Amino acid sequence: MSTALLSIRDVHLAFGGLKVLDGLNLEVKAGEIRGLIGPNGAGKTTLLNVICGLNRPQRGDVRLNGVSIVGRKPSAIARLGLGRTFQTSQLFRGMTVLENMMLGLHRRTRTGLISAGCNGRRRRSEERAMEAAARNALSFVGMADLAERPATALSFGQQRVIEIARTLISDPSVVLLDEPAVGLSANRLSELDALLRKIRDQKGVTLILIEHVIRLVMGVCDQVTVLSSGSAIADGPPAAVRNDPAVIEAYLGRELSARYQAS
Amino acid sequence: MLFSYLLMSGVTTGALYGLVALGFVVVNKATGVINFAQGEFFMFAGFIAWMLHVQLGIDYFLTFALAVAFGFMLGCLTDRIAYRPLDKTDVVSLVLATVGTAFVLKGLARLIWGGKADYLAFPPITSSDPIMLGNVMVIPQQLAVLAGTAAILVVFTLFFRLTRTGKMMQATADNARAAALVGIRTDRIYTLAFGIGAAIAAAAAVLTAPLTLLYPDIGFAFFLKGFAAAVLGGLNSLPGAVLGGLIVGIAESMAGGYIHSSVMELSPFVVIMVVLTLRPSGLFGSRMRRV
Amino acid sequence: MVAPFGRRNVLLALFAAASVLPAVANVYQLFIANLMLVYVLLAIGLNILVGYAGQLAFANAAMFGIGAYATGLLQVRLGCSFWLAFPAGALVAAAVGLAISLPALRLSGLYLALSTLAFAQATQWVFLHWESVTFGAGGFKTPPLSFAPLPIGKPLGLYYLSLALLVVLFQFAQNLVASRVGRAFVAVRDGEVAAQSLGVDLLRTKALAFGISGFYAGIAGGLYSAMLNFVAPEGFDLFQMVLQKSMIVVGGLGSITGSVLGAGLMIIVLEALRAFKGLQEIVFGVLLVGFVLFMRGGLVSVLKRHVRGWEEPLRLPQRAPPAAAPRALEAAAGGAEP
Repeated sequence: MSTALLSIRDVHLAFGGLKVLDGLNLEVKAGEIRGLIGPNGAGKTTLLNVICGLNRPQRGDVRLNGVSIVGRKPSAIARLGLGRTFQTSQLFRGMTVLENMMLGLHRRTRTGLISAGCNGRRRRSEERAMEAAARNALSFVGMADLAERPATALSFGQQRVIEIARTLISDPSVVLLDEPAVGLSANRLSELDALLRKIRDQKGVTLILIEHVIRLVMGVCDQVTVLSSGSAIADGPPAAVRNDPAVIEAYLGRELSARYQAS
Repeated sequence: MLFSYLLMSGVTTGALYGLVALGFVVVNKATGVINFAQGEFFMFAGFIAWMLHVQLGIDYFLTFALAVAFGFMLGCLTDRIAYRPLDKTDVVSLVLATVGTAFVLKGLARLIWGGKADYLAFPPITSSDPIMLGNVMVIPQQLAVLAGTAAILVVFTLFFRLTRTGKMMQATADNARAAALVGIRTDRIYTLAFGIGAAIAAAAAVLTAPLTLLYPDIGFAFFLKGFAAAVLGGLNSLPGAVLGGLIVGIAESMAGGYIHSSVMELSPFVVIMVVLTLRPSGLFGSRMRRV
Repeated sequence: MVAPFGRRNVLLALFAAASVLPAVANVYQLFIANLMLVYVLLAIGLNILVGYAGQLAFANAAMFGIGAYATGLLQVRLGCSFWLAFPAGALVAAAVGLAISLPALRLSGLYLALSTLAFAQATQWVFLHWESVTFGAGGFKTPPLSFAPLPIGKPLGLYYLSLALLVVLFQFAQNLVASRVGRAFVAVRDGEVAAQSLGVDLLRTKALAFGISGFYAGIAGGLYSAMLNFVAPEGFDLFQMVLQKSMIVVGGLGSITGSVLGAGLMIIVLEALRAFKGLQEIVFGVLLVGFVLFMRGGLVSVLKRHVRGWEEPLRLPQRAPPAAAPRALEAAAGGAEP
């Protein structure tokens, strides 16, 4: 096998009669930021679901660090170092921002029933460490002053950033981001761009992001994969992919793309 | 001889359970919710029918109509109180609200009617002389129950398939937001669903009343049996509900006759637990919305 | 800074009152107070399962019964002493809780409610009909409980035993919900999918919640059987379940202190309406609907808003925030391109 951190081989997934993933192949190297684009219905979110274990493919393999993760429980895959954000806000509404962050450390902590209930030494020291780590993680994304706020008292942009921070706090090796830029204003967009680069540079985390905001994808991704109808139709540096005729056709359809290319 | 007797008895009670189950399915088809007060609608309508027919001497068929109308209104009222004001994604609140409603109804019935004697008898409507169908002995009221169930099933299947309102209800169940966006008054649909569900329960009660004794706790018993039938048939399927009811009724009757009478009470619980654990979509349910 | 009506102080005051109560109460009042302690335990366990972990289960009354029956039957059928039967009974209830969490894993919301309800009814049926073991409808008497060598009678001894257990288990629950485990419960309640993506194992977390509530209910059941010296099928039925649900709703879902307040108040209401079963049903039904509609966070949410110094950790289930910004906004901001 290559030095791929995450490798997806010949994945097929159909829901009832509808084929959503059709022989998909993808390889992501450690440390890169990979963009995943494509028209609606191409299977991008489904692919993320397959990687993180929420959907099981009928055929194919997914390997993380050479280890096959197909068929494992999502929580087990998460514990192997895979993180994910979702299209809609998934902050836990019954907790504060700080507590949300501390939950992000769940897989790296061990306080169990007895220690928690009896307020044993392990619990107390872990709680202190978790709180410190949580505050640090919030500072990293510039939101340290929001720690005590209830998760429901955040603006949309703040929610998205904190969710990313929550996914990062346990130091995963790969993070899947599902449309992190949706609904963001132009200002927030450049902040997100800077944040993603900062994450890649300072934390060495591999990122895979689904996005429709092409400016972001072209700006921050090292490599871009284009999905259409359940398989990858192009794969390469952003500039190359942008001009690929197959990609243009996938987005615009045959007639319009012919006109576009003629002009 | 025992077998055919048990079968007939099972089919009759099964038809009743099917009716109660129909009420569940109608509400569920439109709102995605199970109304925990469904059994109490049944019970209360039965008591109202008793009051109308036995105490006030009103004719049976008129009583039937009045009780059904009353049931409808009770259902609409419940929607206004325990469903409309609530956040539809907050399942805990939705369930607890209908549970609370059920208890209020039960308490009211106990206060109004339970004082003198806890069990009320409804006189037989048809002659209680059994008829022989082939070599099976049948009481005419049982036939009335079967006929009533079949009629209601047909009416509602046609309603959902052919009428505009019926289709609007299905649309709302499928995707409430989209339905609202195309102009369907989802609030009204919910109210209608609750009302119809309760009306069906009322019809079932008036059909049943001559065959059984009425008491305030009867609601919960029928609730569970009706739910077992509904879940067995698949909560989206009208004919499935009736078939589920027949199965539960026959199984109960057979178990009671051949094993022991006490096992009869146990069967709905077992059905519910087994079906929900092994095959939540039941026998005929279509792709289950997240169970 | 001392907050006179802060949560801690109110709880301390209640504890102090409870400790000296036997000196001024008559036998009946002591019994009611003991009953309150038992129900607080039930409410705490149920709140952990329903309020924190979001599992809408209706089996708690059955666990209560299982605890009572197990404690009683171990004494009567196997000759165990109460001091052995009691913890054993609680463990049996906890084990049953764990067992039903397995099928519960695939069910949520309504379907979980109904399958646990069916389970509860099936348990009732077993209490009623498995006469060779459970003595059937008539129930059975348990051996008198003695606190020898301590020179105190049963009512007093049992009361202080209940109080001591309650203090310990209250603190345990309080610690638990403020820890990693408690956060995992709330995560499962508020976002199962996201919780999994952060490494929370759904099965273990739900099983833990079911097991804990089973244990608390089992302890309550054992104490209850000793209070009455008698165990019978009624008392663990649907009305019981609704009573317990109203306790946690009135007190406050997602609040251990709320369980204390809710249970105490509901027992008072129950006793006040002792003579009229029909009225009881109406009152509890109205309370349930009323609080669900108008005071979702229970009494605790009101106290939190109006009483200075009432530090209640944020766990009450919150309403969904406004929907995410639609895509149209993004296009308008010039972000989207073909």
